[in-house]
Amino acid sequence: MGLRAPEMGEHMSDVIRVFVEKKPGFDVEAQHIKADLVENLGIRSLTDLKLLNRYDVSGLSRQDFEKALTMVFSEPNVDNVYHETYNAPEGYQVFAMEYLPGQYDQRADSAAQCVQLLTQGERPQVLTAKVIAVSGKISQEEMEKIQTYLVNPVESRLASLEKPESLDVQAEVPGNVQRVEGFIRWDRQRLESYYASMGFAMSLEDLEFCRDYFRDEENRDPSVTELRVIDTYWSDHCRHTTFSTRLTEIRIEEGKQKAVTDAIEDALKLYFATREELYGASTEKPVSLMDMAVIGAKSLRKKGLVQDLDISDEINACSIEVPVTVDGKTEPWLVQFKNETHNHPTEIEPFGGAATCLGGAIRDPLSGRAYVYQAMRVTGSGDPTVPFEKTLKGKLPSRKITTGAAQGYSSYGNQIGLATGQVTELYDSGYVAKRMEIGAVIGASPKSNVVREVPAPGDVIVLLGGSTGRDGIGGATGSSKAHTEKSVEVCGAEVQKGNPPTERKIQRLFRDPQVSRLIKR
Amino acid sequence: MAIGELADGLTVNLDHVPRKYEGLDGTELAISESQERMAVVLDSADVQAFCEAAARENLNAKIVAFVTEEPRLRMEWRGDRIVDIARSFLNTNGVTQNAQVYIEAPDGDLNYRKLVPECLAGKPLAEAFRENLARLEVCGQRGLAERFDSSIGAATVLMPFAGKYQMTPEDAMVAKLPVDHGETDDATAMSYGYIPGIARFSPFHGAAYAVVESLSKLAVVGADPMKARLTFQEYFERLKDVPSRWGKPTAALLGALTAQLKLGLPAIGGKDSMSGSFENLDVPPTLVSFAVAMTKASKTKSAALQKAGSALVWFPLPETEGSMLPDWEKIPGYYKEILSRMENGDILSASVVKEGGVAAAAAKMAFGNRLGISMDRNMEDAATLFAPASGSIVAELREGAEFPASARKVGNVTEEASIVLGGVSMPVEELTKVWNSRLEKIFPNEAPEVPLSVDVPLWTERSGKAPAIHTARPQVFIPVFPGTNCEYDTARAFEKAGAKPEILVVKNLTAADIEETIVEMDKRIRQSQIVMFPGGFSGGDEPDGSGKFIATTFRNPRIAEAVADLLENRDGLMLGICNGFQALIKLGLVPYGKIVEPSENAPTLTFNTLGRHISKMGYTRVTSVKSPWFAGVEAGDVFAVPLSHGEGRFVADDATMAQLVANGQIATQYVDLSGAPSGNVQWNPNGSVCAVEGITSPDGRVLGKMGHSERKSENAYRNVPGEKDQRIFESGVAYFK
Repeated sequence: MGLRAPEMGEHMSDVIRVFVEKKPGFDVEAQHIKADLVENLGIRSLTDLKLLNRYDVSGLSRQDFEKALTMVFSEPNVDNVYHETYNAPEGYQVFAMEYLPGQYDQRADSAAQCVQLLTQGERPQVLTAKVIAVSGKISQEEMEKIQTYLVNPVESRLASLEKPESLDVQAEVPGNVQRVEGFIRWDRQRLESYYASMGFAMSLEDLEFCRDYFRDEENRDPSVTELRVIDTYWSDHCRHTTFSTRLTEIRIEEGKQKAVTDAIEDALKLYFATREELYGASTEKPVSLMDMAVIGAKSLRKKGLVQDLDISDEINACSIEVPVTVDGKTEPWLVQFKNETHNHPTEIEPFGGAATCLGGAIRDPLSGRAYVYQAMRVTGSGDPTVPFEKTLKGKLPSRKITTGAAQGYSSYGNQIGLATGQVTELYDSGYVAKRMEIGAVIGASPKSNVVREVPAPGDVIVLLGGSTGRDGIGGATGSSKAHTEKSVEVCGAEVQKGNPPTERKIQRLFRDPQVSRLIKR
Repeated sequence: MAIGELADGLTVNLDHVPRKYEGLDGTELAISESQERMAVVLDSADVQAFCEAAARENLNAKIVAFVTEEPRLRMEWRGDRIVDIARSFLNTNGVTQNAQVYIEAPDGDLNYRKLVPECLAGKPLAEAFRENLARLEVCGQRGLAERFDSSIGAATVLMPFAGKYQMTPEDAMVAKLPVDHGETDDATAMSYGYIPGIARFSPFHGAAYAVVESLSKLAVVGADPMKARLTFQEYFERLKDVPSRWGKPTAALLGALTAQLKLGLPAIGGKDSMSGSFENLDVPPTLVSFAVAMTKASKTKSAALQKAGSALVWFPLPETEGSMLPDWEKIPGYYKEILSRMENGDILSASVVKEGGVAAAAAKMAFGNRLGISMDRNMEDAATLFAPASGSIVAELREGAEFPASARKVGNVTEEASIVLGGVSMPVEELTKVWNSRLEKIFPNEAPEVPLSVDVPLWTERSGKAPAIHTARPQVFIPVFPGTNCEYDTARAFEKAGAKPEILVVKNLTAADIEETIVEMDKRIRQSQIVMFPGGFSGGDEPDGSGKFIATTFRNPRIAEAVADLLENRDGLMLGICNGFQALIKLGLVPYGKIVEPSENAPTLTFNTLGRHISKMGYTRVTSVKSPWFAGVEAGDVFAVPLSHGEGRFVADDATMAQLVANGQIATQYVDLSGAPSGNVQWNPNGSVCAVEGITSPDGRVLGKMGHSERKSENAYRNVPGEKDQRIFESGVAYFK
């Protein structure tokens, strides 16, 4: 994908370009970036920083643009405007940065929507960039340092200062989905080299398992899509491969204090006793972390101690049934809660990673038709006060991660409109290995709003909400892959930005009992 | 992708999946996932009704798949069946791997819960007390937490920070159930428990105490921990094939399982991530316990000390000496004592010991209402003060209450705002500063003081204006733009006041949608007596400024005319709160009373001086009662109102200010505890000129304000003192009577 090259004899560009700069006193963001660069990055020679939003607009008449200028793109009491070109004052160095193509840009999207509200015509195309002008005795090397600090290559890049001829995106018609020719006849060695080239999250053994399946059950080679779908489906993130691993042997070290070791031994015995009580003495059920995680609830439920649990085939949040009294009248409600992590996405792109952590956490109770009303955020970070120079190669600085993540999560939560009741960050040097970003949410709805039925042949699946783009790809498998110094450079397509107004529309829709009762699952 | 999990047998047509741009191939369409996309299963007979309802909410809905008899996942793209897999194969979840586990024994001498942190060891107690508060593990995180809206929904029982100074962090969050009509006392409490240091000492003990800590945090807000339901978050290093690495999550899960079975409290959900490694670095063995319980809003307790004269006591957690585990048998009784003493009024406030020990817990309890503590002699011991005896509870005991046999005295709560330890007196204000400033450069709390350049006297004269036509139940038009999120709370507040709220979702997916919306808006405004712009983030506060969606739409000639008719011919009212205020001021409706062209010197609302969102309770004074919206209050009345915004800084030049003052248009101002307008960021958190929170049109019928007056309900924000109901909505309705 790229910008279309101008064709010979084509009309002059229909792209209108405008630069918008906050007036002194309103330029809070510019002042904060400046302080950040001076204090945290150590660019002591920087004396001033100007920040401009650059909008490239097409599909809009000059007349409509003039109207939009003072309503949408700028406000005369707050902004200065420069048409077509921005000439920085003497002594300033200028560069621009923009999101990678295809990355969701709320600023551009809102600008286009807002202009359309004004014109009531077709929605124009809008691209945005941030232009930064700095003054002071700043060396070439320092300029590069500034750019590297401000541009996170997994989501953005330096932008050209030239105005494009057109904003149309040249999309190539994709080729047909390839079949993996000969796959079912490959030996381990051939599979291994294929495995190495694909960047799967699943193991080589899993891939062999796929080969056997397609060979023995399907009698055909798989498509690339099939292998990708299987990989996504099986990856740690969705199905806990590690948690399902069979633990063939559990040994406990004999420690200094017998009573402490005994306590762990007792816990293990308790686990095995509970297994026996639930599954019988001769069970084949593998001993696994997953089993240890869920067996407590199973056992207590069998003993009748979990009367309020709401059981269903739906895979979503924890759900309990509770009586709720409204104006003296008591009715059954379902309370649903869910915790979610986005450690890996937040580590490489803090804003989007943390925003979609919350979005993802909301999604489960929401799909269970609960209205999500509160969120909690528990995060783990390395010391954010350590100087920038101590950042490990291949990592973003802890400070950038933690402030970017706070901005992303809060921006999403504030926009979707749920009350974040508690926010705590745990500081531990271990979280330099990878940040911890947990969102936990709680939702509820009258039980009568929730109908649960087993899908039957002929039922229809309706897809609701935002459109599909490349940014949602690999979210599941990315977090399962080993993380190395290269990660910051190669994971680009995996970064997702949230679109909270759209998820909120779904919240509104599902809150209507007339609608929620139509949903079988 | 989510669709694939909805039913065993599915045929998906990827050509029908809406895409952001062309060029996506079948594989990309098949595996993309997103939180703002959702797939639902419907009976084919219900599809039309469902899609119509979605369209009314400005949402795209499209049939993309059918449920099939045969249990296979099939996907088709451009006529090619690119996926055709048996469900049974997918459900195997791949090859089951094998692993061996070796749990390393923890060294009991290094029991983190019993140790004084190294950085404090050997220091004089008062010095250590102060330094403890500045530790990264202990220090205040207000600058972080205040970025998050904590009051939307009008159901928040506990604000994250308690007291009139809002400086005592609460241990759990409590909110009433989101009922759309009426009032309820039923609420949920949710907490977490986990301390990395304990888990590093022993993942097994770390998990057991994580559960107990989460339960204790429910107890201190008055919820019954013995009725809790749990969910865990595990986060561990890559396990590779190393048995001792596998030993960590195994030990943690065994610790958590023991807690569940011994206490009879199940974990009914959980999520895990085993990717916490980078080269040679590993995350600490992390098992976070989240606990949820039903509770009553009216019984909810805070962590902020309430009253001088109380005794502060510590209830050590019952523990088993040798195993270093909680004494499971005694835990239920431990919580019972706390809850029954809350019930009978003995316990006024309580907090859980975490990192920082009893010392930090007590200090933080004192910060909120700026009370002092005279520490008891038996506290003069570093381990008692500073060891993170997690899960144990510090409580404020009513003066004269019977002293509990199981507790230890921490000290006496004093009017004088100092903490006195071993003869050294430390002012609470200064300790608060020490606690708050550690992360100042990361998450700022401080901004320059704003000069109050113009004096704004109280305006007591009420406008005598009354509408020509009276109505018992005025209709309120409330438009919902993409990103608006306060319409539920606003509609409820109006409904309670006796008005008839009319919500209209603005549709803008196509040009035709917009046209339809404009026609509908015009009609509804003309049927209404009040137009209200609710809060939220219309357009996500983009492009780079708030309220632009609303302002742009209302500049549409047809709509502008309907508004002029409302205000000029029909004596109607307008109200805008937060994002709605931003829209009103950008349209000119405040302060000019009509829609005017944007101009260079017009007052506006812009980014907070802190450069971030703020969410907290703000004290505001009614400065002018000229507006009918303030008919129910007196000039000078002070209220505690939820604030939540990123662009709330009111800016106007002195000439404009003077004009507004002379005409009684400065409606409300941010004030300090003495009721005086303040330029200090603690009380005027966005840095508004002359502490202006709200302004009106010349005759007061259009009101714009930042504070969320609509976010009110019984027992909301009960941990922050102050009158919370400004009777704005009741006054608006009364105007038409």
